[in-house]
Amino acid sequence: MRLDHQRTYSDDEIADVVVVGTGAGGAPLLASLAAHGLRVVALEAGDNTEPRDHTPDEMLAAQQINWMDDRLSGGADATAFGPNNSGRGVGGSMLHWGAFAPRPDARDLRLRGESGVGRDWPIAHAELTRWIEQVERFVGISGPERYPWDPSRRYEMPPVARNASSTAMLRGAEALGITATDGPVAVATRDRDQEHWGLRHACVNAGTCHQGCRTGAKVTMDTSYLPLAVARGAEIRAGAMVVDIETDARGRVSAVVYRRDGELRRQRTAALVLAAGGVETPRLLLHTGLANGSGQVGRNFLAHGATQVWGRYDEDMRAYRGYPSSIITEDLLRPSDADFAGGYLIQSLGVQPQTLATTLARGGGLRGAELMRWMRDYRHLAGVGINAECLPGDDNRLTLSDEIAADGLPRVRVDFSAGENEKRLRAHAIRTMVALVEAAGARETIVLDRTAHTIGTARMGSDPGDSVVDAEGRSWEVPNLWICDNSVFPSALAANPALTIMALSLRTADALRRSAGR
Amino acid sequence: MARSVVERIATIAPARWMLLGHSMGGKIATVVAARTLRGETPLFGLAGVVLVASSPPSPEPMDEGRRLAMQGWAGAGAVSELHARSFVLADLADSDAADHDALPRPELDRATDDVHRANPEAWRAWLDRGSQEDWSVAVSGSDFKSPLPVPALILAGAADGDLDADAQRRLTAPHFAHAEVREIADAAHLIPIEQPAALAAEVRRFWRERAGLGPTVPSDFGRVLASARTTSRTRAALAARALADDPDYAPTVLDTEQLGRLRLLADHLVPQPGPAIDLAARVDAQLATGVGDGWRPADAPSDPEAYRRGLDALADWARIPDADARGEALDRLGDGDLEAWLEDAAVDLARQWLAHPATMALIGFDGVATGGDTGRQSGFAELRADRAESWEPLPDPAVSSPGVQPPGITNGASRSTTEAEA
Repeated sequence: MRLDHQRTYSDDEIADVVVVGTGAGGAPLLASLAAHGLRVVALEAGDNTEPRDHTPDEMLAAQQINWMDDRLSGGADATAFGPNNSGRGVGGSMLHWGAFAPRPDARDLRLRGESGVGRDWPIAHAELTRWIEQVERFVGISGPERYPWDPSRRYEMPPVARNASSTAMLRGAEALGITATDGPVAVATRDRDQEHWGLRHACVNAGTCHQGCRTGAKVTMDTSYLPLAVARGAEIRAGAMVVDIETDARGRVSAVVYRRDGELRRQRTAALVLAAGGVETPRLLLHTGLANGSGQVGRNFLAHGATQVWGRYDEDMRAYRGYPSSIITEDLLRPSDADFAGGYLIQSLGVQPQTLATTLARGGGLRGAELMRWMRDYRHLAGVGINAECLPGDDNRLTLSDEIAADGLPRVRVDFSAGENEKRLRAHAIRTMVALVEAAGARETIVLDRTAHTIGTARMGSDPGDSVVDAEGRSWEVPNLWICDNSVFPSALAANPALTIMALSLRTADALRRSAGR
Repeated sequence: MARSVVERIATIAPARWMLLGHSMGGKIATVVAARTLRGETPLFGLAGVVLVASSPPSPEPMDEGRRLAMQGWAGAGAVSELHARSFVLADLADSDAADHDALPRPELDRATDDVHRANPEAWRAWLDRGSQEDWSVAVSGSDFKSPLPVPALILAGAADGDLDADAQRRLTAPHFAHAEVREIADAAHLIPIEQPAALAAEVRRFWRERAGLGPTVPSDFGRVLASARTTSRTRAALAARALADDPDYAPTVLDTEQLGRLRLLADHLVPQPGPAIDLAARVDAQLATGVGDGWRPADAPSDPEAYRRGLDALADWARIPDADARGEALDRLGDGDLEAWLEDAAVDLARQWLAHPATMALIGFDGVATGGDTGRQSGFAELRADRAESWEPLPDPAVSSPGVQPPGITNGASRSTTEAEA
């Protein structure tokens, strides 16, 4: 995005707010604060890009828009980071996100009240929905004319084009009596003028959302909230890796230390927002020892169950064409025969070849002739996948290792093992998906395990002893420190997180602004 | 001139081709290769460059007096037959060759006639500009910082005064990451007419042993990669990956034995159906860049170290002579301590296999040909099963229809992954 005309602040100026990270957590907040006249500076570890800098080539794309420095993964179900769930660059993980934009279900926000496990959100669903609607209006979402699970809902643009995988899922769902329809997708299906950025071209069905969108059709922060923020006087400092946070005698944040162009610099600030995502935010907190009186920083690491079932069809599916995951069903959010808490969404799936091979090897255990057989049949494959609730476990947590990474901070170690609830849910989902894919006409199916998203490592709550931030995202201990990304989620929610993160971002901005008297 | 060469190749659009340039033509070939490898030409499939008594990308070393004299030859019209003949003879190893019948008379006459018939403007332009232009930085950056990755065969006549093998090593070879400089005996500057058989033999050998190795990207797939649908940056990356692997690849992260074992391992984890890509070498090169995949098992060392240890642990395994027995032993190892690393290796090798455009063509994936450098982006308008758009290169449907075992892949031990796990 264009940064050459932006307002700039000197390190010695005391910014009103410094925001670490420019993804779904940082960008809307940045725009909101700037619009209210606050002097805000965003520090982004990655580089600045234009949409036309992206490439459909999976190898080049990962090196450009993903966080490729090693995280250490432990536990029985070690989490794959990198292109799977970690972004980098101006725009954060929204550069590579899949643009699937379901709203969270009201029941998921009251999981503990409903089932006695997990956590309830200290936010009413109706209030969260109002913020979500504000996000949807600004970025533009496409979806069906009538949303079966919420008939009152309206989407601005018609749904994305269905591909061969979409029609297969619809066919299978119908045979099983499952309601499925075009999903809510953060992709412009018509040319759309985006204030302060320009004309976002309608989606051309390239199928390369995860490699970075070249047309501007996919909602990203560098084509929406960040240009608005810059127009309102915010500064975005790319290539700035935060390595320390300084506090004054009263324990309040006074400055942020960051490395840029090999040089250590210090930006003074009146308030700090951490929006670096579910891994880098707790990493900074654990490294600095801030805001962790509850001992909850890094705990409650949640990863959505994201198991996939692929089918091999006689037809030439070539499901890499078009938006990859256009069809949704919310029917399984609370299955009547569930022996687990929470539920899951199912979406249709197309995939790029390297990503599929990686999942076949990691999630399917395939090697050699079998791996080659599935890859040789690539054009005949179409899949479905879930996004599933995940409960916190005592051993599922993020800690700092003894090893220092290239950025100068200790490498994180993330332990994750699926608990009993996850296992039961997974078994249910596999039964449902295999039946669906077979009903759609697949000759052969394969189950591929994976998880998605990094959630819960600095959770919000109403009890200071049990959470890191309050319901508005403010640290219980450091009053001018706020957190705004998926690390504050009290529970995982079955809905994919980006839309909710953006809504929380506007909401936290509102609270921060009011606390600053603006 | 480079542009007209590009246009000419584009009309022929062979699947896999080499550029051969003689003298000033070598300089043009080098420029065309550089542009093609940067994705800036509508070409795909460049496999090698053969430079015969080539002018270097930098100004050609030429005696100033001789240059001025030659300019004078075309001062008032065509170069005379006398001057043309002396020019040709001066470029021969043995200027008495014509008298000794070492050079066939018709060739000598034709070469003389070519010079005589040359457009005098073009003749002067060659001396004034073409030979003097400095393309060094455009070809390989300042100080040869980015040498061209294409295999290059550089041939020098043993008796070529200004452009002998030493001069070529100094002036031309550094522009290429993989250059082989060879001397042609009994030749000076006009190698193609002095030693045509030796030249042909060198080109054939270079194709067979170096530039033509590995799989070929089919011409219809290459045509799409060359088209405006594909961005130049993507085309450049694919062009580099389509180049033949160096058979003498010297590993950076691994030692030679470890590389050998990784090659053996690659045959089991990612058995390739046709002419093989050296996946092991490509993984070693990838490890050398230091760019990982974003994570590693908590108890594992860094990726390079994990590879070294894993491959050392496979020393005994690699000595099992029988491939089937080796495959079974590998399955057992995969359930033990090496499990996590073998999974990583399978992923890395498979990704390198799929990154090659010939593999994309093989599995029928043309999604990399989306984008375009200007204007509206190219995507897909036809998304339905069993339908394709007119621009799409369609692989033979028989190759990958379900249930048909692709040729060259033997049945190994396979896990049952099709059962729903309840």
